Amino acid sequence: MSDVATATTALMDFRPYAHWIMLLPMIGFLLELLIGKYWWRKGGMFATLSILGSVIISYGCLYNVYVQHLGFWEYSWDWFYPGIVAGFTIDPLSLAMLCMVSFISFFIHFYAIGYMSHDCAKNVYFAETALFTGSMFGLVLANNLLQLFIFWEMVGVCSYLLIGFWWHKPEAAAAGKKAWMSCAVGDCLFLLGIAMMYTIMVKQGITTEIISFNNIFQNLEHLSHETIFGMSALTIICILFMCGVLGKSAGFPLHVWIPDAMEGPTTVSALIHAATMVTAGVYLIARAFPIFLAAPNALMIVAFMGAFTALYASTLGLVVNDLKRIFAYSTISQLGYMIAILGCGAVLGVAAVAYALFHLVAHAFFKALLFLSSGSVLHGIGNVRDIKEMGGLLKGMPWTGYAMLAGALALIAFPFTAGYYSKDKVIEEAYIYAVHDGGLGYLPWIFLVLGVILTATYTFRAWYLAMTGEPRSYPAIRPHECGFWMKTTLVVLSVFALGLGFLTADWSKGIISGLFSGGAKFWHFLEETFVHETHTASGVVYEGLNLHDIALLGGNTLMEHGAHPPQWVILLPLILMIAGLAIATMVYYKNRVDVSKYVKKDNPLYQILWNKYYLDYIFKDIIAEKIIMTVFTFWDVLDRYVIDGVVNLMSWITIQSGQVSRKLQTGVVQNYATAVIFGVSMLMILVIMLRGGL
Amino acid sequence: MIPLQYYLLLAGILFAIGAYGIMTLSNGIRLLMCVELMLNAANMNLIAFSTHINDASGQVFALFSIALAAAEAAVGFAIILMVYRLRAKIDIENIKLLRW
Repeated sequence: MSDVATATTALMDFRPYAHWIMLLPMIGFLLELLIGKYWWRKGGMFATLSILGSVIISYGCLYNVYVQHLGFWEYSWDWFYPGIVAGFTIDPLSLAMLCMVSFISFFIHFYAIGYMSHDCAKNVYFAETALFTGSMFGLVLANNLLQLFIFWEMVGVCSYLLIGFWWHKPEAAAAGKKAWMSCAVGDCLFLLGIAMMYTIMVKQGITTEIISFNNIFQNLEHLSHETIFGMSALTIICILFMCGVLGKSAGFPLHVWIPDAMEGPTTVSALIHAATMVTAGVYLIARAFPIFLAAPNALMIVAFMGAFTALYASTLGLVVNDLKRIFAYSTISQLGYMIAILGCGAVLGVAAVAYALFHLVAHAFFKALLFLSSGSVLHGIGNVRDIKEMGGLLKGMPWTGYAMLAGALALIAFPFTAGYYSKDKVIEEAYIYAVHDGGLGYLPWIFLVLGVILTATYTFRAWYLAMTGEPRSYPAIRPHECGFWMKTTLVVLSVFALGLGFLTADWSKGIISGLFSGGAKFWHFLEETFVHETHTASGVVYEGLNLHDIALLGGNTLMEHGAHPPQWVILLPLILMIAGLAIATMVYYKNRVDVSKYVKKDNPLYQILWNKYYLDYIFKDIIAEKIIMTVFTFWDVLDRYVIDGVVNLMSWITIQSGQVSRKLQTGVVQNYATAVIFGVSMLMILVIMLRGGL
Repeated sequence: MIPLQYYLLLAGILFAIGAYGIMTLSNGIRLLMCVELMLNAANMNLIAFSTHINDASGQVFALFSIALAAAEAAVGFAIILMVYRLRAKIDIENIKLLRW
């Protein structure tokens, strides 16, 4: 034990350098943009190396906290106004995100060196992805709401730029715009929520660290008495935050941008779906979890929205034929699982954050793998994306095919893959929430369980149609396997997608504590997030929170001890997954069942799914073109004839009076001279008269 | 010794002639000459009063005024010369390019 201790203390304290995790990719962005074009392979080196630096610092911080037990750390500076700070925080929650984002982003950059090798604007691409990653680091490290919001928007800007990276394609340009506008709806409301939080914090007489998370948590008891329009202020704030989350994390109904975002390069889809964009929303709820806990009904809304999104998106995944869009819908669905389990935190407490975060991390690995392998498919058969035109690709590209199989198995939670440990835990805990809450509380669990069977079906529908059977189009006959950079990435991510359960499985407990001198399981590590004290560089110590008391403020009662669901609940997701897998195998591999008579345009159910529940129609044709256009037409008439009319009338009057009065100016010198002499004479006569004679 | 009133009368007559000229004439050079007449009427007043109260500063002012009048006349004649070159006429009634 003593030699372990000396070995662990030998490593430096990385925590004071945490801001470099964010700054390095930003520097990479600048270098890549300015001089990237003239260096190695015309771009890619600076971005990849700077993110490698972030990986090192992130894992250094993780080692400090997880193995060396150096404690949570926070430091901040006064920014532009007393009480508004810029600061960085290192705790298990941010560490889990940092390590996942940096690692996956690094490998996506590594892959992109191969994937983007033929693109002419390679350095711009790498500059934008480096900025994207750096913004996400900034978002994760932020210790206050305003800083988080700024990086939140920067992430949005980068996603807009990257989705529309091939801007010369009109659909890519439109997709970028759609992503930006859908997120903007949520972001406006999120900003409103931040402003409200600022207001009620100032009302408490707080003058320092006004919207820093830790300070808000310390004052939740006072804040919970604040009301706006007769409702609890915290609930309103949480609903506004939730709107931001729905935009960014693609919750129903603001998810519409995600499928269209597939127009960007596949590496960008992988970044957005795994590491840098959609996880931000889940992270926001996790980071602000005590606020949600203290707000009455807020977590219930979170749970229902999440579970509904999970089921809703997985129904859509069944009918789409675009390989990337199938995975896009699966992302929306899996994010629904994460948000739902965070909502179950009303009963589970901080454990819910741990379960959500583990599913987030596991999902990031297998979703990055799925996107990168589908990118390899696209690369190999000339950008054909329709799975009906693929088939039999496994023979031509075995590396890609088996990598995608690994990702798909993890996605459907096949036993002993990463998804099995993360998703099944989520479903079990949702059942505990259901039993505890009773009545409507069963709905999230039912939605999540139903989602399992659909997930298994649509995932393997995609895999079977793409990889097995006979080639159904000319490009699919001779696919070419990807090169070194892409193959390496696929192998690394496959290993993680299959083996990440190691971090939480029962069988690995002894190995982990042996390796890391008593390091706890992933969940137990994350459960320390809010309940342990945080030290700041300025010497202030934030006490750990008593989540039981905080839950009582919101009318929630946490469970005292972890409950175990009955055996059938644990087995149910597994059985349903196998059922879904069997359906997919029967229909799309063995071809025993013919579904073509249902999969037709005149089947109303199919039509609804094919049209994505008409949500695009409602948003674009009804809300945008009918309602908003009508309002704008009225406004236009008002503007043109009333407001402009007043302005034009004023100017007309001025011009006309000028026209008349300028005739007074004759331009003849004699007239002026006469006027001057006449005026002076009159003045003199006046003066003489007033003085009463000479 | 000529009494002060005669000087003032002469100056008044000169001034009235100049003012009449300015109001009625349109020839540029004549106008300038009229302006000079009015100026010199004023100068004559200055000198007459300065002699009357035995103080030389009035005469100094008259010298300044003459110098200024010379400068002003130079500018005025230069403008009129340029107008003559452009228009071959110096009737200022014709110079109305900037009028509405």
